[in-house]
Amino acid sequence: MKKNTMSYKVKQYVMFAGPATVLFCAVVLLPFVYGLYLTFTSWDGISKDKPFVGLTNYISAFQDTAYWQALGRTAIYSVIAVVLVNIVAFLLAYLVTSGVKGQNFFRAGFFIPNLIGGIVLGYIWKFVFNRAFVALGQSLSIGALSTSWLATTNGAMLCLIIVSVWQYAGYMMLIYVAGFMSVPKSLAEAAEIDGCTKSQAMFNVTIPLMRASFVQCLFLTITRCFMVYDVNLSLTKGEPFNTSVMAAMHVYNQAFTYKKYGMGQAEALILFLICAIVGVTQVYIGKKGEVAA
Amino acid sequence: MKKSISFAMATVMALSVTSAGSMTALADDVTITIFNSKTEVQSQFEEKAAEYAEKTGVNVEVYFSTDTVAAHMATRYASEDPYTLSMVDAKDIYSLAPEHGVDLSDQDWVNDTDYEISVGDAVYGFPICVEARGVLYNAEAIEAITGEEFVPENYATLDAFKELLETLVAGGMETPTGIMKEDWSLGAHYLSEIYEEQEDVDAFITSLHEGSADLINNGKFNALMDTFDVLMQYNYAKDSAIAAEREVTEQKLAEGEIAFMFGGNWDWSVINAYDYSEKMGMMPVPQNTEDGTNTKLVGGGSKYFFIDASDNTSDEQRQAAKDFLNWLVYDEEGQSFLVNDCALVPAFSNNALEVTDPLGNSVKKYADAGALVPNYNYAPDDHLSLCGASFQKYLAGQIDRAGFAEEIENYWKSTTPVEH
Repeated sequence: MKKNTMSYKVKQYVMFAGPATVLFCAVVLLPFVYGLYLTFTSWDGISKDKPFVGLTNYISAFQDTAYWQALGRTAIYSVIAVVLVNIVAFLLAYLVTSGVKGQNFFRAGFFIPNLIGGIVLGYIWKFVFNRAFVALGQSLSIGALSTSWLATTNGAMLCLIIVSVWQYAGYMMLIYVAGFMSVPKSLAEAAEIDGCTKSQAMFNVTIPLMRASFVQCLFLTITRCFMVYDVNLSLTKGEPFNTSVMAAMHVYNQAFTYKKYGMGQAEALILFLICAIVGVTQVYIGKKGEVAA
Repeated sequence: MKKSISFAMATVMALSVTSAGSMTALADDVTITIFNSKTEVQSQFEEKAAEYAEKTGVNVEVYFSTDTVAAHMATRYASEDPYTLSMVDAKDIYSLAPEHGVDLSDQDWVNDTDYEISVGDAVYGFPICVEARGVLYNAEAIEAITGEEFVPENYATLDAFKELLETLVAGGMETPTGIMKEDWSLGAHYLSEIYEEQEDVDAFITSLHEGSADLINNGKFNALMDTFDVLMQYNYAKDSAIAAEREVTEQKLAEGEIAFMFGGNWDWSVINAYDYSEKMGMMPVPQNTEDGTNTKLVGGGSKYFFIDASDNTSDEQRQAAKDFLNWLVYDEEGQSFLVNDCALVPAFSNNALEVTDPLGNSVKKYADAGALVPNYNYAPDDHLSLCGASFQKYLAGQIDRAGFAEEIENYWKSTTPVEH
């Protein structure tokens, strides 16, 4: 059988990637295109007719100060959370690959928060911040703890960051663990024989070889933080006074609660573009300098 | 050989499918689907649906959703799978029913209620219950301190109310009030009373839209905000009002740690989870006013059924849905279901059953006496969230009354009126 004919290639493609392609089209591509169409209408989400309004939704999205505030807030949250998640994850990974006693137990333990759904996690931490910390603060009379952090603007953001770090660090840790394991011990040892200190070997040999892990973790955390919704919903619900509403929540409210479907969709598209640009740029830069072991 | 066997098998399977289809047609089964947005009565609803099916032969499937009502309806209509009967909020009737609902003007129950919703000449919304807002009180806790019977009517003015609060404080209840910080309670319930108790509500809303309403000098605004200030002053969570949890506040009220809280009879579903006092009730929001609104609760019909008019619902289903509504109004069992099983205040005058919970009892008393200020159901969809946030800022002490008035005015100026 000839392997370079068109029909052979098509057959091979359909056989191996066909189902995935169909599913991808049905649940990603089609809704995306349909969503794009909706941004040009003033649909309320339920009416039978979808009046065409041209670019009005995009114009009002750009004029929607609450949306840009939410985006700015999301950016600040993402930067802090991404940095912290990765630092914590890296340190944890270092810890559980350095040969401490019971490291497999720790690996599992640190990973578990990631298995709890965001909604449940939000409610648990809400209890911790609202009740446990406050009770602790009051009984030990620690001023900073005796009122709920969730009640203040900056406090609510801080809580979101803490919970995100707690949630994602374990997952990212696994990727870093894989990174650590993929770097042969002999390389670091060779560097040490050549006169490197342990930390020099770490920064000049191990970490550059783990670049792929960093690229992957950063990509995952950045996109997840930008799209955060579940923790936002169950932990703060945008409170106090809508000052912890993240971009995704604002989009949801706009579309479903305020019934401005077209506008919400337009804002979602802008959010998608921002995410895509940030994500792709980051991966591009990260991949460019990757070195093979 | 293989071919003929597979052909025979296919024939058998095809036949079995058609015969199954014709069997259901023979049995003449009608199934109606109900969307229940009062999740607290879901289990009662399901139980009753099974009994109803047994009695009438009409299958009733009851669904609920944790999503917001409007969002859930949007999903069902987008997937062309609407419920036969949908329980929605008043504002949803206005936005949904003219396009998706069946005109129910010819139904008998229309004459037995004051709370149905009409759009134009057509009746679309079947009222499920009456709900009202006011100040919830725990009479037992009050009487334990004052030593005399608590008569809510004596505290209609803010002056008298404040005096009572002082007495309670002197008697050992240091913080006699609680405030729910939820945006729906502040924005949709308390703030709305400022509109609803105006002499001409529509004119007032129009003036807000036009920017000519001078809120900070408005008598009603100031009267209600004066009362709110007093509630804030005696709030048990004064220092962290914006972190107070609804459950904690209601537990304190139920158990008599505090005596007053602004709320509505739906709060009973939270209160009855605690060790509550039997002597609770609801009174109008005290105000220093001459207009009589301090002798009335604010409320009316709440949660409405509409019947789907689309092609996805058959005429038999529509008829079955109408029968179900009639059963709720005229059948003894239906009446008892609403009042006894679901603990709702009936919206129909022919339903004379005694309301079981104390808050519902107060509502029924005021409703029967015609002492309900009607709800304003035409606030834009983002009113609750945005104005609720402004109110929360006021509660947290981040803005003063003038700043609050300004934010509310700015909100209304930036929105377009809801047609009704």
